[in-house]
Amino acid sequence: MKRFGFGRLRFRRGMILVLAVFMAVVTGCGANSGAGDNTGANNTSSNNEKSGDSGAVSASAAPVKITWWHSMSGTGEKAINKIATDFNASHPGIQVEAVYQGKYDESLNKLKASLGSDSGPDLMQVYEIGSKFMIDSKMITPVQKFIDEDNFDLSSLEPNITRYYTIGGKLNAMPFNTSNPILYYNKDAFRAAGLDPENPPKTFEEYEAAAKALSKNGKPGAAIAIYGWFMEQLFANQNAEYVNGGNGRDAAATESLLASDAGVKTLEWWKKMVDEKAVANLGRDTDDTDSAFAAGQVAMTLNSTAALRKMVDAVGGKFEVGTGFLPRPEGVKEGGVVVGGASLYIMNNKPEEQQKAAWEFIKYVASPEVQAEWSVSTGYFPITKAAYDQQVLKDNMAKYPQFQTAVDQLHASSASNATSGAVMGIFPEARQIVEGAIEEALNGQKAPKKALEDAAAQITDKLEQYNATVK
Amino acid sequence: MSELDNRLRLPAGTRRASARAGRRTVSLKALKVRENMLAYAFLAPSLLLFGVFMFYPLLRSVYLSLYSTDPAGRVASFVGLRNFTSLFASGLFLDGIRVTALFALLTVPAGLLIALVLAALTHNLLRGKRLFQFAFSLPMVLSVGSAAVIWKFLFHPSLGMLNYGLELAGIAPVPWLTSPKWALLSVSLMTVWMNLGFNYIVISSGMQGIPDDMYESARIDGAGPMAMFRKITIPLLSPTLFFVLVVSIISAFQSFGQINILTQGGPMNSTNVFVYSIYREAFVNFRFGTGSAQALLLFVVIMLLTLIQFKWVERKVHYQ
Repeated sequence: MKRFGFGRLRFRRGMILVLAVFMAVVTGCGANSGAGDNTGANNTSSNNEKSGDSGAVSASAAPVKITWWHSMSGTGEKAINKIATDFNASHPGIQVEAVYQGKYDESLNKLKASLGSDSGPDLMQVYEIGSKFMIDSKMITPVQKFIDEDNFDLSSLEPNITRYYTIGGKLNAMPFNTSNPILYYNKDAFRAAGLDPENPPKTFEEYEAAAKALSKNGKPGAAIAIYGWFMEQLFANQNAEYVNGGNGRDAAATESLLASDAGVKTLEWWKKMVDEKAVANLGRDTDDTDSAFAAGQVAMTLNSTAALRKMVDAVGGKFEVGTGFLPRPEGVKEGGVVVGGASLYIMNNKPEEQQKAAWEFIKYVASPEVQAEWSVSTGYFPITKAAYDQQVLKDNMAKYPQFQTAVDQLHASSASNATSGAVMGIFPEARQIVEGAIEEALNGQKAPKKALEDAAAQITDKLEQYNATVK
Repeated sequence: MSELDNRLRLPAGTRRASARAGRRTVSLKALKVRENMLAYAFLAPSLLLFGVFMFYPLLRSVYLSLYSTDPAGRVASFVGLRNFTSLFASGLFLDGIRVTALFALLTVPAGLLIALVLAALTHNLLRGKRLFQFAFSLPMVLSVGSAAVIWKFLFHPSLGMLNYGLELAGIAPVPWLTSPKWALLSVSLMTVWMNLGFNYIVISSGMQGIPDDMYESARIDGAGPMAMFRKITIPLLSPTLFFVLVVSIISAFQSFGQINILTQGGPMNSTNVFVYSIYREAFVNFRFGTGSAQALLLFVVIMLLTLIQFKWVERKVHYQ
């Protein structure tokens, strides 16, 4: 018994230590990958000098292999695999391998973790709000270089789209999948509530009135997901800039303009409708508002046009789905929507031969035929105007006339820094902060103006930190 | 080591033995060294693994916590203790600790109590014992990911089973994950259910280990079932309960999977437990500096907690 007691004491001490170290592991793995990153940081830019003129030899030798990381799942992934297979069949000198790397956030994180090693991709699909980060990271070759070398004609591309991705006077990435937010509404419910099913609400005020008419017995008739992207779009729709420095386009942004009139007006409108039980708060996930809409529980919602195909399929024949423009406050004349979606970046840590092959593939992807096919199978709209002449797209427009809304909305947007979209390196984080502010306001924790002011201060602080670490 | 020495000195009796004894005292030191070497040789593989996967990352965390990193996670500049001071200044650290403590408070006692009651109920069951044991330990076989996805469906704001049931009963739907008042409670509910399997199995097997003759003699002395539970089961089960308590608290502090899937820290950071905020800071915002600083603070907090548990709580534990 005594001997046992002694052993137990030792065991106990040891146990404390083991548990403590056990915790350290959880906490420590973060450091590990960070440590791996900084060793290779300096050689990323040196690699592209060594291959010289080897690009010309490629056709006769073994095919150049390029890896494409993307974030499209479901129908999008199928469409992407088809693009890659078709390209490989028609271009014997190049083999493209498309690899799904999780959602946009996840794949961007994997890219950061692969920095300084050869395990990264040649071609990378990055969401629109990752643009500034990709440029600042200095790990890409701007596609402008290849456009100039190749005399590639950009005039056929949608000007609204190229405007978004033109930062610092050059096109850094080739847009690939583009979308914008639209209003989805249930035409049958509109009829039942005595609203005009062919005339969806266009202003904040009309939206509120329609939502009230659609609500009954305390059950909200509309739902808006707490998605920071909507706030960004509602800003642009009032032609208001999101950050200073010409929306971060003329100079690096140093201050968030979130608490400006446009923001306060938008959030007050949103909160009022939630308080009146006209609009439901179903959380941050648009999937949840989508499923409530498809089940007929709410009759109006906002979402990306990229969800159109899925939405129409989910509703089936239960009711007629209508689409409309994103609402804006009464009296606002100017403004429009910002292009959402993602673009393709060529990574600069690969030999020039591979970068050129990646550019070949980009040109193929940007062609009207591929864009039309891509648009039809997903719901993203084509980046090139010539795609609208393709028969497959014309047939699709006839079948799903709702799709025209997003295209019209894009063309109706005025050209300004506000509608070109904000540029900041911490955009993904800023979006999270904005979502937190919206939650605080909707849940009554803070007044809308106060919530936005606090969030703006936080974003400004993060911008300062970011600018200090980027040289 | 002292026991070994005693035994080595024992065989000094006959002449031949005492002749050898001189040599032995000389070689005793060498023997000790050899024994130690042997011990380290056997320990080497685990020491190596500990070093590579535990101590090196820990030291690296300390290093990174004193630096700021650029958006790609590369070390940018030395900032001293600013990462720590800004954590305290922004209230992020205290908020995270508060949410985590609340989460532990909501999950640990409930998980322990429910598992104890279920184990006690099934222990003396004559019929269907296997069936209930199987049912109660079932959550154990599910991974955090799949369990969280199942609960996400149940919690769905408009189409979830839970709200459907409430509606049938004429009760207003509950904003399970969308309201800051409910979110932590909902995640805790799911966590209690998920941990039930493990707790139940451990406590059940602890109960099986209590000898039947104790209950028998207690019964002869006229003890009722409640008295036996209080005076025999609980004290003899206390080492098991202590183990479950320590493990539950640590796992509550480490909870990540269900929060990542169900709420992602929201709404309004109401479920932003400490580990999740470390993950966000380090792997989403790629600020390894502040991320490491948070991680070290968590390390200190958990070490203190574990020390407290071993110092005070273990006193109540009765070892046989």
